[in-house]
Amino acid sequence: MSTPSPTQMSMELTLPSELGYEVIARDAVAAFARRLGISPDRLEDLKTALSEACINAIEHGNLLKPGLRVQIFCRFEEEQLIIEVVDQGVNAFAPKGEPLSITEKIAGLGSLRGMGLMLISQLCDEAGFVPRHGTGNCFRFAFYRRPTPALQR
Amino acid sequence: MMLEDELTVSTRERDGVAIIDLFGDVTTFAEEKINGAYREVTNKGARFVLLNFRQNDYINSAGIAILIGIVTEVNRNNQKLAVSGLSQHFQKIFRMVGLAQYAEIYQDEEEALAGFRRLAAA
Amino acid sequence: MSDDTTRREPVEKVIELRLPSKLGYERVAMDTASSLARRMGFHADRVESLKTAISEAVTNAIEHGNQHDAAMKVVVLLTARADELIVHVADQGRKQLDQECTTPEPKIEDAFEREDKGGWGIWLIRELMDEVEFTTAPSGGNQVRMVIHLEQ
Repeated sequence: MSTPSPTQMSMELTLPSELGYEVIARDAVAAFARRLGISPDRLEDLKTALSEACINAIEHGNLLKPGLRVQIFCRFEEEQLIIEVVDQGVNAFAPKGEPLSITEKIAGLGSLRGMGLMLISQLCDEAGFVPRHGTGNCFRFAFYRRPTPALQR
Repeated sequence: MMLEDELTVSTRERDGVAIIDLFGDVTTFAEEKINGAYREVTNKGARFVLLNFRQNDYINSAGIAILIGIVTEVNRNNQKLAVSGLSQHFQKIFRMVGLAQYAEIYQDEEEALAGFRRLAAA
Repeated sequence: MSDDTTRREPVEKVIELRLPSKLGYERVAMDTASSLARRMGFHADRVESLKTAISEAVTNAIEHGNQHDAAMKVVVLLTARADELIVHVADQGRKQLDQECTTPEPKIEDAFEREDKGGWGIWLIRELMDEVEFTTAPSGGNQVRMVIHLEQ
């Protein structure tokens, strides 16, 4: 049988696509991250990044349409907490094909959709849209359990 | 990092009372630490034992079972047990379960020590 | 995954959480429910009761229903209504809950005599929540439905 080990821990959260629910998502994901040993100051970064990603999904991916959902997938592998925020793709804005480079993401997408993505890119160790089978935009960002020195502020 | 390890247990003595400080979560993972601390103070001959709860926002039924185990031992060893520092919610839970009949519940350490003094004088 | 949710309560605001069956992860359910309940306007002491009840339900699902198999999920549904919060906790039913275990009346004096001092979880849930019902989940696992009313 599978051995319970923190390296294969994952959880999923599905929320109504409605502004306000990102606050609940923050608390849920923060509790998950705390169990994985993410440090308290990184937790604050994580909470801000997650809120921004959820708001993007609700406003830009789902275009504030009622009755839709936002899915959040969290998993811990290779010392990284990886979070994916998936909307229902009413407005498809995820780049097709190859994901953009970090620089392109920050420069291009940042100016395209305000401060949210900019902020996320600066708070976490990796961020960007990833291609996804089926409908919906998938925004992925990651936090290393022990940040590399270059990333420490 | 030990993720289950969310409880810190330490022991000290004040005014003839063995104080066991419990910082953090009291769940199934707490068993060895709490029982170990209790055995330690008992081996030193403690008559009065205070479980001093601190920042315990999570005590569950597995934790309650551990504490019932302590009460069982305390009764067997003719010691007196008190608890302090519990939140209102966990004071309520302790009363519901019946632990309050076997361990006096005090708001804080000072109040508990005063209670033990009255008991020792009686 | 959200099919369950939409099938059961199509028009309501449901938060669905799928957690690994590992002790400690009940904290995620507790914090999520507490975050929601506070924003719904529940008093602090009611939020504490809710957290304890959810902790017990999820812990049962991890330990008994899913037998600590971390690959098995515990599904928590939080449904916010104007006047109440409904919580479903379901496991994957590796072990079925004995119906006789769902209405325990534990006594501390009996526990003193027993080797196992436990068995307080389901009793606590019943004491702390306004409505409690044990059923079988659509997936075939054990499910507990708990309701806490928002008092005026």
